[in-house]
Order: sequence, then structure tokens, then C-alpha cells
Amino acid sequence: MGLTERINKTDKLSYYEGQIPIEYVYTYGLGLEKFFRAIKDQGKFLASTCKECGVTYLPARSFCERCLVKIEGTTAVPGTGTVYSYTTVHLNMDESPKKEPALVALIDMDGTDCRFLHYLTGVKADKVKVGMKVKPALKAKKDRKGHIEDIVGFQPS
Amino acid sequence: MAYQKVAIVGAGITKFVRRAQETGKELAFQASKMALDSCGMTIDDIESVSLGTAPDAFDGVHMKGEYLSDGSGGWRKPYMRQFVGGGTGVFAPIHGWLHVASGMFDTCLVVCSEKMSSCYPHPQGAFKTIFDHTTEQALDPTLIWIFALEMNRFMSTYGITKEEIAQVSVKNKKNAMDHPAAQLPMEITVDDVMNSETLAWPVNRLDISPASDGAAAIVLASEHASKRITDKPVWIDGVGWNLDTAYWATRDLSYPRYVEKAARMAYDMAGVVEPKREIEIAEPYDPFDYKELHHMEGLQLADRGKAVEMLLDGVTQRDGDRPMCPSGGALGVGNPIAATGLMKVIEIFLQLRGEAGKRQVPGSPRCGLAQAWGDLMQVGTVVVLRR
Repeated sequence: MGLTERINKTDKLSYYEGQIPIEYVYTYGLGLEKFFRAIKDQGKFLASTCKECGVTYLPARSFCERCLVKIEGTTAVPGTGTVYSYTTVHLNMDESPKKEPALVALIDMDGTDCRFLHYLTGVKADKVKVGMKVKPALKAKKDRKGHIEDIVGFQPS
Repeated sequence: MAYQKVAIVGAGITKFVRRAQETGKELAFQASKMALDSCGMTIDDIESVSLGTAPDAFDGVHMKGEYLSDGSGGWRKPYMRQFVGGGTGVFAPIHGWLHVASGMFDTCLVVCSEKMSSCYPHPQGAFKTIFDHTTEQALDPTLIWIFALEMNRFMSTYGITKEEIAQVSVKNKKNAMDHPAAQLPMEITVDDVMNSETLAWPVNRLDISPASDGAAAIVLASEHASKRITDKPVWIDGVGWNLDTAYWATRDLSYPRYVEKAARMAYDMAGVVEPKREIEIAEPYDPFDYKELHHMEGLQLADRGKAVEMLLDGVTQRDGDRPMCPSGGALGVGNPIAATGLMKVIEIFLQLRGEAGKRQVPGSPRCGLAQAWGDLMQVGTVVVLRR
């Protein structure tokens, strides 16, 4: 089997630039629309439970992927949870260093079978532990737009 | 079920580099030509083509299968593109196997080509769009977040340290010193890994595989066709693939259930009853050092939380009892996404034929396995090979 030598220096290569001139306008969909309206208007976390298998999804979904059946209705859950895992992020997307490392966690959400990916706030990295109880920090109602960033992050409870 | 037996009869691989002058098409051509030349075949002998390549966004071309078809020998042939993210490199040969095993074709050229360097300033920009656009993208996640979260959970669940995991990186980058296609072969120490830049704790720079350009290809043939081509066929005796939920955050991150399901599918087909005893050599997917251990457990090659003991005992070294990633893996040879998985298949092919040169493991193994993993850390793809 042959192997070829290949150029390794990038500065001698010619190149040209390109881009994809597209933006996206997404719908929330039938399940997430309810979830984000409740966050915006009431500061509540809406979950939905599959009647077939009993799995509770958060954010609310309109169907169960396990049973492939429709899910009707939603129930509010407290929005509190437990840190399942966490990381301190040191770099931005383009590999430039962040001014302050960001704390990111996966949170086991109480009363559900799901986890949230979000920032941790109001806590130093060396104080974070797997198993730590947390609660959500929401923006003031007037600043909420029905967006995942209406949740500023999760903080120790 | 009645399948045609399917053999790998030839293989080719380009050098993996951070930025190749060649286009993705040209990389595909070079690997395809090498694979055909290695077994004395021409494109006229090929009845079908299976192409694997990862996200269209890497190239900014939204018909990447067709875009790469000329370099892959697809001209006026039954041609099919496969894509399951990082799992693609083992998924494409599985599709090639289906083409031949079904009896539809007697030969199939399987090509995996990836050019990540076109994506500027970094392919992470393309990876961002794999996250859910409503609940996750606004948080500005990178792929490294999810690996950091998974690695932390793996370490927390089993009480494994970063220093222990770093030994995977030390081993694989050293193994790559003997691989002529390798991008990052190096002799490093655990301290080097620990002292390298923190990207997202616990992931440091040397815990992680690079972005790469490269291509790999293999030729598949049915049993009767293989007799005209080679007297050293390597048989694809088992294939398996499995997909978990796209809601990655809700999964058990300490154990890859989908890899277990893919492996059991392949073992059942190959008649492998005791994987720990029967799989003599393996190439688990290792884009991050902890993933080699994580995948060994999913593949049933180690008990849960115990793969690290095999590593520390030297069992997974190239001259150990159960060599893992003797090629140097994604960590050492490089990680041009789709091509990486096929590079792993090729390594087992060469090792079983006794043609791995300086990388040859002792003991003349008869049965090995290659595995890849990808999408939103949710797919496992496995092939079991025997000579």
C-alpha cells in the first residue's frame, strides 16, 4: 500500500474565500412554543409526560420519541435540579481565550427524566461539585423574550 | 440469513495533514487509486461505490456526496453517500458490505474523504449547527463542551483521574510514530498532557485529536470475486450500528449504551460470544483520550470503569495482550472525520494480514474490530474482521 508525502506548510498555498449567504428563521414548534411562552409570561418550566411509557420531558415535547405517540398537555415543574456534570470553558469559538472562564453544567431537572445544558452563575469554579443542588435564575419579566437566554443560568440553591 | 461473504481485498490511505493543497476530490482520488492499485484492480472492476464524508458545512457544498463522486470513482456507477458524523468512517464500509452481502454486487469501492481546513477560521463553526437551534445554540456551545461534560462524568462516576486518562494520549501519539500517514506522531509524557492548554476543563489540548484533511479507501469483494483478486482476504464477519436520542444531554454520559448495542449486533452476526477473549486487537474511536476507555467498555472489551486498569497495566500497548489503537488512532494519526474511521478499518485489515510493518502487533491475531462514533455523540458503528 502506497503512501504519499503531502505538503504541510500552509503559508505557501493559494486559496480563495467563500461563504454561504443564508440566515435562518426557526419556528419553536408545537411543544417548545408552550414551554417558552410559559417561561416568558409566568416564569414557569413546563414539562410533558408520555402516557405510554411515563417518561417526563423537559422542555415539553409534542410527541414521545420512544413510543412514537402524541403527548397531550403539560405540567409545571419547579425548574430546580442537581448538577450531573460541569466544565469550565476557557476558549471562544475561534480559539481566542475568554476573559473569564465560563461555567457550564448539565443539570438533572427535578420531576423530569431530562437534563438542561446551561451556565452556572453565582458560584466559583472551585466550589462546584457533581451532585450540587441548583435553581434557575431568570431575567426580569420585562426583559424576557421567550428565549433560552431568558434563563441567565442556574445557581446554588 | 443468507449473506454473500464479503472480504476486504485492498486499501489505500493519504497522509493526514492540517491543511492539504489537494481538494477533497483529489484526496478521494488518491486514496481510491491507491486502494485499487494495492490489489491490482481498475475502476472497471468496480460495480458499486460507497462514499463516506461528514458535514456538508466543512466544504460549504450542499451536495457533498455528488461533489466528491468524481474522485471516488462514482462516474456512471451505483453510488451512495453515507453520513453519520464521526461514525461515518465505519458506516461507509457497513454500507459497502450491504451492497455486496445482499448479492446485488460482487465488488464495492468504499471511499472516505474529508477536508476540514476549508472551514475558516475553524471547523468548530460548522459543529455549532449540530446543537439544537432553539434550546442550545444561543448558549454558544462548542463540541468541546460536550466532551468536557462527558469526560467529567466518566471520571466522577468511576473515580478516574486526568493523569490516568492522559496515558491514552501518550500511548496513541507514540504508536503514530510508526504510521506513515500520521499528522501528530510524538513522544510525550503525562506531564506534557497535563501542562498543555486547558480548552474546557478537564479537556486539555493534548487530550484531543486535531482537525485534519485526508482520505482513505478500501475495496470489497464477494467470496468468489475475491478468489481472483487475492489469496489474503480479510472477512467482514459482523457489522453493527445503533443510534441513541438526539437529546444528548439526557443520556447516561458515563456509559455509551448505543456502542454496546452496535457491538452486540456485530458480535451476534460474527458469532463472537466472549468479546474480551475473542477480539484480539481493536481500534476503538479515540477523538479524545477518555473516549478510547469509554468505548472499550461499550464494546464489552472491558468491564464498566475498568478499561483504565487495562491501560495502566500495559495490556492495551501495541505489544500488550489486547492492543488498542495500534495505528496511533485519531489522537496520533489525525482526525479527518470520515477518513478516520476507515483508517481504523484499514489498520485492522493490515494487522490481520501481517502487513502493518513497524506497527505489527505480535501473536498473529485472527480477529479484530474497528469502531467509530459520532453525530451528537449518539451513534456507534462497528465492524468485526477475521482472516
